[in-house]
Parts: sequence; C-alpha cells; structure tokens
Amino acid sequence: MAMNITRCFIALSAFLLGLGLIAPTLTIYPKAGELTWLIEILAPEELETSTYSIIGVIGKLYQLNDVFLALLLCLFSVMAPVSKLTLYWQACSLSFRPKEFNRLLKAVHYVGKFSMAEVFIIALIIVVVKSFPGGSTAQLEWGAYVFTTSVACSIIASIGLEKKG
Amino acid sequence: MTSISDFDAPKPPPWFGALVPFLIVLAAAGLYWFITAEQEEDQNYIDSNSEKKLSGSLIDGQTYYIFASEIEVFPTNLEDEGWDRGEKGPDIRYRILWKGNAVFESITKDDSLIADWSGLSIELNWKDLLGKSVSPDDVIKAARIRFEKNEKIEIIVKDVDIASDDDVGRHEILLNELSIGKNEIKLKKSTSNAIRNISLRILPVGSDLQDLAQIMN
Repeated sequence: MAMNITRCFIALSAFLLGLGLIAPTLTIYPKAGELTWLIEILAPEELETSTYSIIGVIGKLYQLNDVFLALLLCLFSVMAPVSKLTLYWQACSLSFRPKEFNRLLKAVHYVGKFSMAEVFIIALIIVVVKSFPGGSTAQLEWGAYVFTTSVACSIIASIGLEKKG
Repeated sequence: MTSISDFDAPKPPPWFGALVPFLIVLAAAGLYWFITAEQEEDQNYIDSNSEKKLSGSLIDGQTYYIFASEIEVFPTNLEDEGWDRGEKGPDIRYRILWKGNAVFESITKDDSLIADWSGLSIELNWKDLLGKSVSPDDVIKAARIRFEKNEKIEIIVKDVDIASDDDVGRHEILLNELSIGKNEIKLKKSTSNAIRNISLRILPVGSDLQDLAQIMN
C-alpha cells in the first residue's frame, strides 16, 4: 500500500517534471537604463520580452556556444531528475527483494543529493539576470512552480522509500 | 488446447518498469507541446494578418501616407558639373505634388548625395510616442494622398541654395505601380534628371503607431 502511494508521487513528479521542462519558466524584461526609450525606437527587438522554458534556456545557451552551461543545466534539470525518478520507480518494484532494494536505495540516496540542484540552477539564472545593468528584470513563470512541485513530490517519494528501507 | 495464464505469459525484463517515469515525462511534455502548438498556430495567423496589413497593393479610395525615405542623386548636376560649384554636396529637399498641388515639402538635408528622411516628426518628444499619447497625424511627416487608379504623383527634387534653388530632377509616378511599404525607383541620368534613386514609403492612414514606427523608420 505504502509503495503504491510512493509510486503515485513518483508518477506525479514525472508528469510535473515533463510539464515543467517545457512550460514557460522565466520571463526576462530587458531595459537599457535611461536610454530605454531610445533603444525602443532604434532597436525595439533588443528590448522584447523573452520567455523561456528550461528546455528553451538549454537550447539558447547551446546556440550561444555556451556548451558547458547548457550541459550543466541539462544534467541538473533534465538528466538528474529523470534518472532519480527512474531509480525510485525501480526501487518500488524491488521492494519485495530486500537485498536488491537496499542496494538500489544506496543509489537513490546518492542521486537524491541532486534533489534541490534543479531549483538552485533556476535561482542562479535569476540572480545572473537580476545583476544585468539597466534595470533588466526576470520573473518566474508558472512552469518554475510546476518544476519545483515536481521536485517536492520526488522528495516525498524518497522519504517513502527510506521508510521502507 | 492450450491457454496462456499469467504465470505462462512472457514477463517483461526487470528494467522495463524503470522506463515508466521516463515515458510519463515524455507524455507530459508532449501533451503540453500539442496543446500550445495549436495556440501558436492561431497566434501566427493573427501575426500574418498584421503583416498583410503592412504589405500589398493600394486600395481604391483609401488614403495613404507617402514620403521619400531616401533620395540619391548623381555626383554631378544637370550640367554635368559638381554640385554647389564643386565645393560641397547638394542641399537636397523634395516636394510631392498630387493633382497638381504641392501636398508635402521635406526639410533640407545639407551636403548629401544620399539624403534620408524619417516619416516621423523629429520635433516630437519620443517619450510621448512611446506613451502613445499622440495621434499618428501629429507624428507623421508625409504627404496624404488618396489612391485612385491611373492617378499620378510627382516628386520634385531641388538643390537648395541661398540665391535660388537648382533643379535636381522631377519624376512622375503612377500610383498603380506602388505598394504598401518600401518602393524603390531607379532613374537614369539625363539633361533634365540628376536623381539616381528614390525610396518611397507608403502606409495606410489609420494604422496604429506601432505599425507606423515599423514602416517609417
């Protein structure tokens, strides 16, 4: 019974993760300080509001040849959460085999260290954008909250697994 | 007769279950993408309609703003001599004539072989424009004409001098040949023409400020 609830949380976390990766996460409002009004006339495209999803940010970084950051973000916000959920699910399946379950639980603990890394990455992006000159601002969109809820669900699932362990 | 029970049925490999979260992630992302793709299509349709508004042929009876955004003249005047006695470039100004009347006169661009004008007023405080607290008619520096088939406009270009203005050239344009947006007219040098190129811009009266700013600059 407990494992079924844990599985529900894993499935919910996976669903929210898929949504959170592709939904709007961050909107950047560029400004150019006192010259904003002039830039709006001369090059309005430079001041267009941009909304990105996490996948969109990764794509943008890759396009800008910032491969390292693109890979880092891909690792922490896509690969790590998916791997974590995969391991959690597998651990649920092996709950009736204590030896294998405990071995997998160790791996789960290891991957679980990345639990909040995804949120940290989003926070980092906001801090970077907020430090732009000219009053540029960034605002979180609903995708960020969906993504964070996904992380929270995965934490609850991991607690469920630990109890079983 | 044989029947396959749950015990006999082929069991998936143990790692198969691990694919479930991955598939859920893909399904959620795919679902969102499918829903938003339809909305984007609708948005693209609206955008393309907006673009259509800024292009295409002139419509009979419709009033338009028209101005020259750029006029290029040949390096020598009608007498094949240097402009302003070879000391400086020509001081260019143009007028638009419609139905025999001068309906617009530009400001003078000093010492230019390629003179350019914005269709938007330079006296305007740009902040007012951004705040959209002014009407397009207050902002636009262009002739207003009404399109009628086979109607013509004439552009007269002068080299402005203190004593008297010198002719640079004049050119009649059939309105049927023009379209909304940018129109390029290339001319040949002759004893009555020293204009090399005219860039005309046309926009329907009644367009909003955003469209005007886009096409006028």
